[in-house]
Amino acid sequence: MGEMEELRKEAESLKDQITAARKTVQDTTLQEAAAGITAVGRVQLKTRKTLRGHLAKIYAMHWGADSTLCVSASQDGKLIVWDSITTNKVNAIPLKSSWVMTCAYAPSGNLVACGGLDNMCSIYNLKGKDGNVKVMRELAAHTGYLSCCRFLSDTEIITSSGDCTCVLWDIETGTEKTIFAGHLGDCMSLAVSPDFKFFISGACDFTAKLWDIREAQCRQTFSGHESDINAIGFFPNGNAVITGSDDATCKLYDLRADQELNTYQDSSIMCGVTSLAPSVSGRLLLAGYDDFNVNIWDTLKSERVGVLAGHDNRVSCIGVSSDGMACCTGSWDSFLKIWN
Amino acid sequence: MSSKMHNASRIAHARRTVQQLRIEASIERIKVSKASSDLMRYCGEHAKNDPLLMGIAASENPFKDKKPCTVL
Repeated sequence: MGEMEELRKEAESLKDQITAARKTVQDTTLQEAAAGITAVGRVQLKTRKTLRGHLAKIYAMHWGADSTLCVSASQDGKLIVWDSITTNKVNAIPLKSSWVMTCAYAPSGNLVACGGLDNMCSIYNLKGKDGNVKVMRELAAHTGYLSCCRFLSDTEIITSSGDCTCVLWDIETGTEKTIFAGHLGDCMSLAVSPDFKFFISGACDFTAKLWDIREAQCRQTFSGHESDINAIGFFPNGNAVITGSDDATCKLYDLRADQELNTYQDSSIMCGVTSLAPSVSGRLLLAGYDDFNVNIWDTLKSERVGVLAGHDNRVSCIGVSSDGMACCTGSWDSFLKIWN
Repeated sequence: MSSKMHNASRIAHARRTVQQLRIEASIERIKVSKASSDLMRYCGEHAKNDPLLMGIAASENPFKDKKPCTVL
């Protein structure tokens, strides 16, 4: 087929152009540029609270915007909203499907969402009139599991799925506004930019993609990982993206330079990264691993500066509160821990 | 699917791939030195407001259990 061969050649040529253009702006490396700044020194965080109550593996957690409440999802079939300071359970929401893989807290604090092997994203109203927490919407259209979800507002949410797509939903009508297709493998994780204009997705095709929400377009694709990307997050200024992979590394990609600037790895770490969160200044990267630990990295100097050891099973999720005062880890050991 | 339909969908997929690569190839890129210095500056400016980095005084840590006081 003449056209097929032409298209294949053009694709190869464009890929070479991108590689060359990235090399052209590579006048230094982040590690060289950061060589002169003071090292962070050892970071030692202590467990301040243990949130007990789930009866099975915890798969996801998300801080509320007030830096006090957080929501967790477990395959015991419950979503629990916790007051992380008192350790009280504010809400314990029974789920229709116990095969939950993700949860999210709306910035307003009014809604939480979750989903998993039911292929749906269920939205719950925490502030219903009679005080009962009920399902407000079930967003159904994905043909694969729901791996992650994040609210833009009380009326819009973005989901990522094992069907290789991400979707922007209108919560009020329960319909898909935009389908973001392009990944060639299960989408595992997503994060929304601080200005809410973009989101990034990490997938089992080993790439991360930057999407323009309103233009409904993929702007950039980042490669380099040698296995599935399980976790993704924005650097706090929105100009860089951090990924965590089954290849045992995390990577920092700068959006404006359109390339990888750092890899966070150590020969002694041979298990996958499950989750990650930067500290509020961006200087620290906290990443959860399959070996039950959290490693803390200096994002600029690429050195490991601390370890959080305290869980008796895989750390499946991690989050830093918006005021930066605490890090929360969730584990297959059924506990959440608050560290600072 | 007939082999004609199969070819048509392979071509459609290849066209989409090329279209996407054109978009990605056309973006403006800044130098790594500038990207690096901007990241470093952000970290530097916000370091003092990063409790996990700077440490938190016990009296200001809402998560630290306060020790009970005895009234003498």
